[in-house]
Amino acid sequence: MLTKNRKPDTVHILLLEQLRDVESCLLYFESFMRAACTPETVHETLKSLAANISEAEAKADISLRKMIDSLQGHAYLPSTREDIISVATMCDKIANACEGISNHIVFQHFSFPAQFSDDLLKIVSITHDQFEVLEKSITRLFANFGEMLRDHSILDEIRSFESMVDVIEVKLSEETYSLDIELAAQMQLAKHLDSLCDISDIIENIADKMQIMLITRKA
Amino acid sequence: MVYLLLAAGLFMGWSLGSNDACTFGTAVTTRVVKYRTAVIIIAVCVVIGAFVGGSGNIGKLAELATSNKVIASSDVVNEAIATGDVALLQLKSALKAAIIFACAGLTVFGINFFKLPVSSNQAITGAIIGWGLFYSNYSDPEILSTNLSQIAVFVSTWLLNPLSAGIISFILISTLGKFLEKRLSTLGSYDAIIRTGYIIAIILGSLSIGINSSANVTALYFDHAFAETGVAANLLTNPVLTAGLGGIAIALGVLTYSKKVMMTVGGKIANISQMDGFLVIIAMALTVVLMGKVLGIPVSNTQATVGAVLGAGLTRGVNQVNFGVLKSIGLAWVCSPTIAGLLAYAVAFFTQGFFG
Repeated sequence: MLTKNRKPDTVHILLLEQLRDVESCLLYFESFMRAACTPETVHETLKSLAANISEAEAKADISLRKMIDSLQGHAYLPSTREDIISVATMCDKIANACEGISNHIVFQHFSFPAQFSDDLLKIVSITHDQFEVLEKSITRLFANFGEMLRDHSILDEIRSFESMVDVIEVKLSEETYSLDIELAAQMQLAKHLDSLCDISDIIENIADKMQIMLITRKA
Repeated sequence: MVYLLLAAGLFMGWSLGSNDACTFGTAVTTRVVKYRTAVIIIAVCVVIGAFVGGSGNIGKLAELATSNKVIASSDVVNEAIATGDVALLQLKSALKAAIIFACAGLTVFGINFFKLPVSSNQAITGAIIGWGLFYSNYSDPEILSTNLSQIAVFVSTWLLNPLSAGIISFILISTLGKFLEKRLSTLGSYDAIIRTGYIIAIILGSLSIGINSSANVTALYFDHAFAETGVAANLLTNPVLTAGLGGIAIALGVLTYSKKVMMTVGGKIANISQMDGFLVIIAMALTVVLMGKVLGIPVSNTQATVGAVLGAGLTRGVNQVNFGVLKSIGLAWVCSPTIAGLLAYAVAFFTQGFFG
């Protein structure tokens, strides 16, 4: 029966594969940030950690392309295909953002002020938790679509993580401009901070996109 | 040569097809079915519906046309047989039918040009009444009462039809829509249900158009007295072929000029979901069949569709309905019979030397 079949299809499996690759990118990014927030870390270590992120990002790219290719032979409706591609492309942006931030930090030989470390690592950890909830909600979207149509409060959970990141971001931004360093250095720090918090925004945007998907399909 | 007059009816059918395809607008605007796929399925099913069941509705339109002097009554045919003027009567009957269809067809085409869905049914009724107002003696209380009672039945459907469709659509979406939603499992199964539902709805809806509307297109060329007299006093004498020809003309309209109106009905009246869109078509098909059974006359698919889309929009709240577009559609519905009637009256006036 159409309504009973819960076996994951190829598109779903490949999308999960892509999400796993994005998650490993986030894990590498977490290690990178931990190292970047430790004053004793040597530049070569950061470089090699950034290389790991780039590798994971490239893998996520390949998974994305494989998933998009698999959509061609699938019986999804055109609008569903578009929505899946849109969600997957937005997920890819998470990996891209991790790669972008780590590369800039390495290229600029940038180091975060010691007093920012705890909060920065907190942002990274919250973002990771947020991504895990996103993964769960995407799985539910594919495997338990009817349930998701009725109750998508899990998407609000994703948004609540973003609010937590926002609070820390505002606090750190304020502190950034009261630091006794040059304005250029303050702006450089603010830019990295902004890019870091953007990852959580991307995840929130994916949740919004999923909510639109659900609303347009609800009777 | 006289058969060339059929062109006006076929033009009417073409206009009707280009307009009635809007019934399936939701399938296309929600992108469940491609426009090309949709129009091919609709065209094929309309022709099948017309050949299989279209002839049943010919008589109902004929009653209105006979009392408004568009169609020759058996008495007139018998008189022509007696005086040997059958050929002239055939020419006049075909010409009158052509004039009515041309007036209605031009009206529908004109209103469609402004991307508004219009009821062909209304246009034909308006043209028949316009002709009757000139030739039928409406000052005679007996004729007035007969004609008014027939007109009242037709006019009542213009309100009852969209209203019923709106109510049926509202109930269907609130019950069946929720019922289906509760039984959904995967995203893939949702898509499969929607796709299958739309295809079934399009097939059923198109068959109902073929059965319901094909008579509107060619009924006035059909000789109702033929079975009694055995002499052809109009162009068509076979009811199945009469309805079938109408079906083919409608199918051509669907295939060649239906996109604009389809998009208006499907996308602009209300924001509706894929599930709503499929149930809207079912609601339209149910309404058309029910109204046809209850009132015994062919009703407008377009009006039923607009009513059903409105009902679907209302399940999400009044603010989900685009009342601006509805106002334009309402205006088109008032203008349609009025313009067609005025056109027919004007032609009747200028041709009284020949027909009078």
